[in-house]
Amino acid sequence: MISQELIAKVLERALSNGADFAELFLENTYNSSIRFYDGKTQQSIVGKDFGVGIRVFYGISAIYAYTSDLTEKGLLSAADAVAKADRKDQVIRPQELSQVRVDNRHQVKIPGNTVDKSEKLDFIRKIDKSARIYSDKIAQVDLTLLEKKQDILIANSEGLFVEDTRNYTRAYSVVIAASGSENQTCFDGPGALAGYEFIRSLDPEEIGKNSAEIAVKMLEADYAPSGTFPVIIDNGFGGVIFHEACGHSLEATSVAKGASIFSGKMNQQIATEKVTAIDDGTIVNKWGSLNIDDEGTPAEKTVLIDKGILKSYMVDKLGGKKMDMESTGSGRRQSYKYAPTSRMRNTYIAPGKDSFEDMVASIDFGLYARKMGGGSVLPGTGNFNFSVAEGYLIRNGKIAEPVRGATLIGNGGDILHKISMISDNLELAEGMCGSVSGSIPTTVGQPAIKVDQIIVGGRK
Amino acid sequence: MYEQEFNKLFELAKNKVDDIEIMLTSGKSFSVRINQQSVESFNYADSKGIGIRIIKDGKVGYSYTEEFSDEAFALIIDEAIASSEMVENLEPVKFDNYPDIPEQLNIYSAELDKVKVEDKISLAQKLESLALEADKRVFNVPYAAYGDGYSYSKIANSKGLNKESKSNYCSAFVMVLAQEGEDKKSGMDFKMSRDFKDIDPVKIVDKAVKQATDLLNGATPASGQYPVVLSNEMMASLLSTFSGIFSAKSVQEGKSLLKGKIGEKISDPVVTILDDGLHPDGMVTSPFDSEGYPSQRTPLIDDGILKNFLQNTITAAKDNVKSTGNASRSYKGSLNVSTTNLVLQPGKATVKDLIKSYDRVIEVVSLQGLHSGANPISGDFSLAAEGFLYEQGERKEALSNFTISGNFFQILKDIEKVGDNAEFNMQSCSSPAVLIKQLMVSSK
Repeated sequence: MISQELIAKVLERALSNGADFAELFLENTYNSSIRFYDGKTQQSIVGKDFGVGIRVFYGISAIYAYTSDLTEKGLLSAADAVAKADRKDQVIRPQELSQVRVDNRHQVKIPGNTVDKSEKLDFIRKIDKSARIYSDKIAQVDLTLLEKKQDILIANSEGLFVEDTRNYTRAYSVVIAASGSENQTCFDGPGALAGYEFIRSLDPEEIGKNSAEIAVKMLEADYAPSGTFPVIIDNGFGGVIFHEACGHSLEATSVAKGASIFSGKMNQQIATEKVTAIDDGTIVNKWGSLNIDDEGTPAEKTVLIDKGILKSYMVDKLGGKKMDMESTGSGRRQSYKYAPTSRMRNTYIAPGKDSFEDMVASIDFGLYARKMGGGSVLPGTGNFNFSVAEGYLIRNGKIAEPVRGATLIGNGGDILHKISMISDNLELAEGMCGSVSGSIPTTVGQPAIKVDQIIVGGRK
Repeated sequence: MYEQEFNKLFELAKNKVDDIEIMLTSGKSFSVRINQQSVESFNYADSKGIGIRIIKDGKVGYSYTEEFSDEAFALIIDEAIASSEMVENLEPVKFDNYPDIPEQLNIYSAELDKVKVEDKISLAQKLESLALEADKRVFNVPYAAYGDGYSYSKIANSKGLNKESKSNYCSAFVMVLAQEGEDKKSGMDFKMSRDFKDIDPVKIVDKAVKQATDLLNGATPASGQYPVVLSNEMMASLLSTFSGIFSAKSVQEGKSLLKGKIGEKISDPVVTILDDGLHPDGMVTSPFDSEGYPSQRTPLIDDGILKNFLQNTITAAKDNVKSTGNASRSYKGSLNVSTTNLVLQPGKATVKDLIKSYDRVIEVVSLQGLHSGANPISGDFSLAAEGFLYEQGERKEALSNFTISGNFFQILKDIEKVGDNAEFNMQSCSSPAVLIKQLMVSSK
């Protein structure tokens, strides 16, 4: 896209006012989406994201500029913009660029653009049909097939020059059940860092039927009760609790500034001994995986909490500089329009030894959250909230009637001490995580866990 | 501007498509964040993109590019045609040369473009230093930021439409963390304007610090139904979250429960809501929408009666009405319907009046989880909240660790009084504080 010679020139220019470090991130992304609802293909959009982001550090100040003008003039003017933000007497020269080859762990077997459009439409129609056949209460099935091929090039003044390609494939569905003035929705969004073979591995009829079943069940459910109860949060998307309640507060972005409840807690007990939590960017073809992060650092498997003891934060280059730590390969960004920062990849609680049956049997009255919706947290206070997409009451040690409309609230520092049982049924689920460096693919996950008490905000 | 690019695209599309619309947005923006009085980050952005929408054999195709080259332009014409071939939706679409609005909008300030970088930095530094000085309990200022931006948009089509517009804005944002004993609370505030001098760091900091410190060591309320005052910001947030109910597209797709209710009473008569694409203080004010259709003011709820839905030309044709100038799309996306500046009209009551209305009232000043705990279709919500308990109009204590839940359609009916303190939120929605007859409060 642009020559190595020009990249070297841009890096040198970016350092010319005395910055300590300069980096260039170039992106050429092919985006394709097909959207289907009302039983018809509504639109298909294909397009190209294209641009470059240039970043320099002056100490721990980060200066970032991006442009989609990739001419020499455009690039040098972006380099000038970052260079002139500060001034230091000592000017360093960039090291000579030497190309690093990426070991591609996440092979694409079937590139999306080699698959016939009729096959893609057929997959989508099967989800639509199986959802609508399940019940006449299904009012809408809204489906999106997303394919993205992101070519990146990262070069920096430490001599790094690396290129990689990331292929993302995802099928996103929203099934709406309605009766009278009532409406309930069920979301599903399996995705992978892989090609079309991932879609072929899915069963569209299962997806449609399962979503329809949940939406209809929640339509018929009564409102959840209010109060503080024991709650079992099941595997897969249930892991959003760790993601929101703790994960964000373990990102260097907030830890480095002392703006996290986990700042200064390294090697301290922050959770019950049963809790081991991991952020792993290396799982083959997983949605949140990467060969290299958006700063060119190889992805790794990072143990965050080992048997309740805080072992690591998620660290990017700048966070590492502020905290005197090595990057954990966690520097991520949505696109060239964002400076990278520390973010999650595939984040999960490791499996335990408790059986799911024992967990349910241990509760006289409580909530079983089979499927979670989204949530959010303020890292500074640790206060989180998230919604239960599919919930049931637990009565006398047995799963009882479905309930809807529940929100769980609490504090991240607190809840980790209340996880008393962890099952062995670990499962991961795909999502998009939004934060300062944009919206990025991440997975959440856990086995079923029992939280001894949590505030449930229902309507009764 | 960009005449050359547009001409090239029109030329490439000639004889290949029946009609074409080209939209371009470009812009420059700047932001600075301060931490411990030094620059934590500087961001400069220079962005542009072109999106096309074509009609061929009655079907619509889309494509876009951020690379401006002859090859990229040729590619998007072909991609848009290929994309149109997949479409099964055959609703009638047409492009037209729409008129201009009669008035001149004041949405670009040449003065703002002249503000010096040093002044912007010192404003952000002031936000941080004032926050730390304001109260001993403030122990961290995670965000002290200033940003501004300039944006240009141009839209043209093969029916002769050719419009352009430019606008700019500036904004400041602060978030503070306060601690007393073990308890930590956060507070934030922002200001957006087209006049740099409008940004008063003292005012912003005072509000953020007061919110965080007032909330410290709050009690948890007993669960039950309470009359609730939603602060102006929180009511605006809730209204933004549920704004999709007014979209004709949502109505036509069966995603709005307001379907078939035009002319009916859907709220208390104290409620008047309008969408104002021409609002002088609105940050999304623009002379035309994403189809080039002129912007306007559209009454949505007048004294409790549902008056209109928001339309683009496609939804309008289906409903047999005129577009309301609410077509929205980014160059990367497809045509939709969105609110512009959504305004809940203020009344005459002060916030004190609202609070005095019942013996016990909970005032909610912070809500979390709007993107997950609210169902935009059913209107149901259950949200983490913070606020204050009032008895006989006197503030009794701060409250935290509770949720409020209810249904937005019911809230519209249960609004008993509307305050006088309307303000725009970051989503260009303006609302005063409101008194709601009752909401479910849950905690222990």
